[in-house]
Amino acid sequence: MKRKHRRLMFVLFALVGLGAATALVLTALEENIVFFHSPTDVAEKDLPAGRTIRVGGLVVEQSIQKQADGVTVAFQITDMAHTLPIVYTGILPDLFREGQGIVAEGELRADGVFAAREVLAKHDETYMPPEVADALKKSGHWKETDGTGAEQ
Amino acid sequence: MANLHKFANPTLFLRLSRALLPWCVGIAVVTMAVGLYLGLFVAPPDYQQGESVRIMYVHVPAAWMALFVYTLMAVASAVSLIWRHLLADLVAKAAAPLGAGFTLIALATGSLWGKPMWGTWWVWDARLTSVLILFFLYLGHIALTHAFDDPGRGARAAAILALVGFVNVPIIKFSVDWWNTLHQPASVLKLGGPAIHPTMLWPLLLMAVAFTFYFIALLFLRVRGEIAARKLRALQLARAAR
Amino acid sequence: MTGVLVLLRRELRLALRQWGDVAMVLSFFVITVVLFPFGIGPEPNILTRISPGIIWVTALLASMLSLDRLFLADYEDGSLDLLVAGPLPLMLVVLTKCAAHWLTTGLPLIAAAPLLAVLLNMDAAAFPVLIVAMALGMPTLTLLGAVGAALTLGARRGGVLLSLLLLPLYIPVLIFGVGAVDAALGELAVRPHLLFLGALFLFALVLAPWASAAALREAVA
Repeated sequence: MKRKHRRLMFVLFALVGLGAATALVLTALEENIVFFHSPTDVAEKDLPAGRTIRVGGLVVEQSIQKQADGVTVAFQITDMAHTLPIVYTGILPDLFREGQGIVAEGELRADGVFAAREVLAKHDETYMPPEVADALKKSGHWKETDGTGAEQ
Repeated sequence: MANLHKFANPTLFLRLSRALLPWCVGIAVVTMAVGLYLGLFVAPPDYQQGESVRIMYVHVPAAWMALFVYTLMAVASAVSLIWRHLLADLVAKAAAPLGAGFTLIALATGSLWGKPMWGTWWVWDARLTSVLILFFLYLGHIALTHAFDDPGRGARAAAILALVGFVNVPIIKFSVDWWNTLHQPASVLKLGGPAIHPTMLWPLLLMAVAFTFYFIALLFLRVRGEIAARKLRALQLARAAR
Repeated sequence: MTGVLVLLRRELRLALRQWGDVAMVLSFFVITVVLFPFGIGPEPNILTRISPGIIWVTALLASMLSLDRLFLADYEDGSLDLLVAGPLPLMLVVLTKCAAHWLTTGLPLIAAAPLLAVLLNMDAAAFPVLIVAMALGMPTLTLLGAVGAALTLGARRGGVLLSLLLLPLYIPVLIFGVGAVDAALGELAVRPHLLFLGALFLFALVLAPWASAAALREAVA
């Protein structure tokens, strides 16, 4: 009798544990996991200057300007709600162009310009990083055509 | 004498496998020949990937087999732990190196395919990475099987490991997918899903059949060898005791 | 319940008596982390960026290297046979031993982690998350480690074998553990990572004692 009791306890314990684990996973999946800040986040949240963060969005048309020194580039990214100016010194990826979804890593300067240390662009011509697409959807500026590379 | 009943069961397997072995080999050879011919010469090149898409006819069946063999090992391990069935132990032991081999083929062909597609031999693509981890799981299983002086203990420890690994495979796969979205915005190859053209689908399915029967034939051979080795060991022990 | 407490006290007393073991694991953790700047260079930005990964990978190795204390001594002097045959359910024995292992290695490693994070130039704002993530992740490593330690009892070259078995299984904890600290450093949402770590812990809490108990029975059979 006692043995049976004990076994029942173990099974109950296992079920409760597995149930709780599943609940945690579902909660975690429900919360949107983002790997970068959108320009809206940067504008609305009070992000600290001087910390390494990632931002992502689409490169604004005709915003790319080469600086006089030849290696520094200034451009803007947008999620259609806000835009964020970025400066980057270095070689941009081959696929970097206007309308392209990119993710930049670097820090926010006190003057509100994002100083990028690294710029990642998508590898495929007809591909938008799903995170960029999600961010656009979230900000309510998602056009279905954007998903299949109409931005080129 | 006590050893004798252990072999009562394998005798059925020995008879059955001897009858089935030629058929498996035959099916494997024929389907592989036809599948390779269709895949390498008849099927059209992909509109985007060109000729290198033909690697798929080896790569995808190998990757399927890598998963299938691990599943088979997990099932055999469960049978071995619950019913203490000798044959299940032998199947798990014999299947592990074959599964590792298929995994290695999948990795090597994936890497060969990646060179023209991605421009490098290796990228930390989610699929490649999880197949690599699967390969490590196979290696651990093989190492554990052979780490004990008593083969029975090795088999049972490996059976527990196979089950633990089997529970973990989906978790690892999920976490790797999730990790990959963070680091790699590169596009993942989609093999067309159901939209794959029949001229490409048929050789793929034929190759899958070929790989499966090739595996079954090898498994039969290896289990037969394993049974013979155990018999030999039992006889040697009996003679030493005498 | 008293059985669990008696066993826990025994384990802790043994660990305290051999406090050198704990000190060695801690020194391994510190020295290995200190090696990285020599290999990579002292550039603070690079160190900051990879600090979560360095700390997690090293803590994972340190935790794994201390696993042989879990069952091996008891296996060799025969007290494991008594524990298996004893009145306490084997799963509870495993859980108690894991708790003791966590108290004597996991906890010191967690305490040392912020100090090493300072050496690696990690932003202090991420320290709470680092500690919480390790508090959720290290028990999972111990529980998975118990399965490996039980499986390799009596094996040839058990130490190397143990790492081959365990490191693939540790990968999810590593991914989410580093992810949580990375998110904290980048001012992103930390909660999902911690929830995943918690889920992994609960899975391990339920499944690992069962598998370890089965493996221990095989080992003493």
